[in-house]
Amino acid sequence: MILEVEGLTKSFGGLMAVNKVDLQIEDRELSSIIGPNGAGKTTLFNLLSGKLRPSSGRVIFKGEEISKLSPREICLKGIGRSFQRVNIFPRLSTFDNVQIAVLSEQKKTRNLFIPVRNMVREKTKEILESVMLADKEEVLAGLLSHGDQKRLELGIALATQPKLLLLDEPTAGMSPEETKKTTELIQEIVQDQGLTLILIEHDMSVVFRISEKIRVMHMGRMIAEGKPEEVKANNEVQKIYIGEEA
Amino acid sequence: MKSLWNRIYTFRAVWLAIALIFLFALPSFLSLGHTSLVVEMLILAVAACGLNLIMGYAGMVSFGPAGLYAVGAYTTALLIVKANVPFGLAIMAGPVAAAIIGFLVGWFCVRLTHVYFALLTLAFSQIIHTIIFQWYSFTGGDNGIVGIRVPDYIASINHYYYFTLALTVVCLALMWMIGNSSFGKTLQAIRENPERAEFIGIHVRIYQLAAFVLSSFFLGAAGSLFCGFNRNVFPVYAHWIKGADIIVVCLLGGMYKFLGPFLGSILYITLDKVTVSFTEYWPLVLGLIIVLLVLFLRGGIAGFFTEKFSATTIRGSREER
Amino acid sequence: MVIENLIRQFLSGLSVGMVIFIIAVGLSLIFGTLKILNLAHGSIYMLGAFLCYWLTSTFSTAPGIFWWALILAPIGAALFGGVIEIVLLRRIYGWHMMYQWILTFGLVLFVGDLCKLIWGVGYHMVSPPWPFKGSVNVLGVFFPSYNLFVMVLGPIIFCGLWALLRYTTLGKIIRSATYNPEMVNALGVNVPLVYTSVFMLGCWLAGLGGSLMAAMSAVTLGMDASIIIECFIIVVIGGLGSTLGAFLGAIIFGLAYTLGIVVFPGVAIGIGFIIMAIILIIRPWGLMGRPE
Repeated sequence: MILEVEGLTKSFGGLMAVNKVDLQIEDRELSSIIGPNGAGKTTLFNLLSGKLRPSSGRVIFKGEEISKLSPREICLKGIGRSFQRVNIFPRLSTFDNVQIAVLSEQKKTRNLFIPVRNMVREKTKEILESVMLADKEEVLAGLLSHGDQKRLELGIALATQPKLLLLDEPTAGMSPEETKKTTELIQEIVQDQGLTLILIEHDMSVVFRISEKIRVMHMGRMIAEGKPEEVKANNEVQKIYIGEEA
Repeated sequence: MKSLWNRIYTFRAVWLAIALIFLFALPSFLSLGHTSLVVEMLILAVAACGLNLIMGYAGMVSFGPAGLYAVGAYTTALLIVKANVPFGLAIMAGPVAAAIIGFLVGWFCVRLTHVYFALLTLAFSQIIHTIIFQWYSFTGGDNGIVGIRVPDYIASINHYYYFTLALTVVCLALMWMIGNSSFGKTLQAIRENPERAEFIGIHVRIYQLAAFVLSSFFLGAAGSLFCGFNRNVFPVYAHWIKGADIIVVCLLGGMYKFLGPFLGSILYITLDKVTVSFTEYWPLVLGLIIVLLVLFLRGGIAGFFTEKFSATTIRGSREER
Repeated sequence: MVIENLIRQFLSGLSVGMVIFIIAVGLSLIFGTLKILNLAHGSIYMLGAFLCYWLTSTFSTAPGIFWWALILAPIGAALFGGVIEIVLLRRIYGWHMMYQWILTFGLVLFVGDLCKLIWGVGYHMVSPPWPFKGSVNVLGVFFPSYNLFVMVLGPIIFCGLWALLRYTTLGKIIRSATYNPEMVNALGVNVPLVYTSVFMLGCWLAGLGGSLMAAMSAVTLGMDASIIIECFIIVVIGGLGSTLGAFLGAIIFGLAYTLGIVVFPGVAIGIGFIIMAIILIIRPWGLMGRPE
């Protein structure tokens, strides 16, 4: 089991954003977390990736407790994360965005004298190709189209060579075509590299396409878990999603 | 348009060589007074480029470069006058001392961000000023340290010019390399998105501290050079108003291009001396010009030119925060 | 003798503190609402002082001229501030902090030299007005009654500002605009007008401080540079944007400085910066501020 979460709770004042969540994620598992807005999904990711400290409970990654580590330490342990709102380096080029992540992963950021232009070019290009941004290398990241920026998000997360990938709404705001393209991309990469994937998504087509397992969150609690068909048929889940198409 | 700039850029090695030859030849056709001005420009350029390491590259806004500059100047002065240290060593000791103080100051400052970071750098700069001002027995207080002796072979203006030019080239070359290294790129990533930088494994604070120390080193180097140039040092070098000179040059030259502060230095000193020469009320004119420059030339001079010629520069909102 | 000295310094610290409070709270208000650290705030203060001096010396024979000056000079400062805000500052709201710093620095140079152009480089004094011309016996020490007046005026201004912010519509608008200008705008409030009003209020306070200081200390060039740093210190101690914070910060600074001079004369000059640094290190948002 690559990730175990026990009784994870995060409260803000009186509000329980995440309420005693338990998770067992197997190695190479492809799963999604769904739920209405405000269910606590992103907060859960924030807890897993170190952006927030749990109020109580534990997170254990590859047998090691990581509940209180900083985002940097958790990244070094092998958890990579993309963000719901695009979180890139806007005035650096697309190439630079990925390169810096590669440099960081290879511990080559301390160098003061070698021109960075020539460092880790191949690896960077490889990653850019895998997220279909190879032709936009020189474009400043802030000027990319939304879809491209989301893929850059993915690229940066991948560049840190994670074992567990947390993707927060990677296709948000994309057209149906781009969504399909990106979903296939994610599938390919994850399967190629043997990564474990947890996805937060609202787009059910993506969720059902990729996931072996779906978990449902509502008001901070994990209320359902299981194979896609099971969850689809679950009454409680349907109740929460009244009005939404599954 | 774009191709013109590209053409200039491709041959930049040539342009650099030409510029260096030009600078080397300057004393032959400039008066001593003007040569002296160019020395000031070079020193200010080193200071502003040093500041740019944290401002332009790392995005850390400092209100207190003056303190570190003064540490460099006073270290050199004190070593020469009180300890009879040879000039060369004293000049080298200045930036080292500034780097050490920069480490102490920076260690506290990098724990803060934005306006609080800026205010703490200001506080430390003023503390340094107060120490220099009050410690009469050691630093001469308000009287400063005067009559600093400089070795004969660089005592003349022209010779000191070459000395400064050489050291300026060395400093700028170092800063250029640092800026283009992976360390420099890391600083830029931190500037663009410190949170994301953390998430890809970068220890943001340590890099910021390192940048602060390097920046202090070059600020101190400028201070030491100025000490040798002016042969006197005064507590006012550490005052925030003097620091504003360095900040203005860095800003107006253009924070995001390497050469920006260098061009800014030329512009600023020229403006300064020109206005002084034709009016008694030069702060009035200078203040007005600064206001206009900020309003209309936000990318700085270097930014202004590259924006004109480049198709891919972002303007507007991203630059504002 | 020592006790007398301490008492005198204590009273001095309070009175100077109160004047600086009046100036600093203007800076704090401006930063809290407009999010600009106005370096030129000290210049407006100096302008107010010079206006006060000019009025009292030009119309020196008019009865109660100082009181007239105390009313008119701050208004003059406020009007000047209003012009600056409309013509310049409006364009730079939301810009990178550094550009704001440098632009206001340009204003410092400009206004400072303007004062030199108009009033020259001299050192001017304004005599305290009737009925505060002499000294009174306070706690066994003779202390200028004018300074006592100032000491009392400080809390009055504080209460006035507090009431303004808390109980008037304008005050509520100002406080809301501090937190959420877009929302306030969407509610139909003319936010630019609010901003201008706040800035003018801040300048009025600076001008008032300058006029008050004119009768306590000298009116001269360079007073802008020294006061602005002291304002920063106080605003840091008290918390950027907090009125009560500025009040407490001013008292702390005033007392630390004047008492410090008696106890550690060498260090006292720098005591303000040391306190400022300590606060920034251990509690950056100040005594009354809120962590972001």
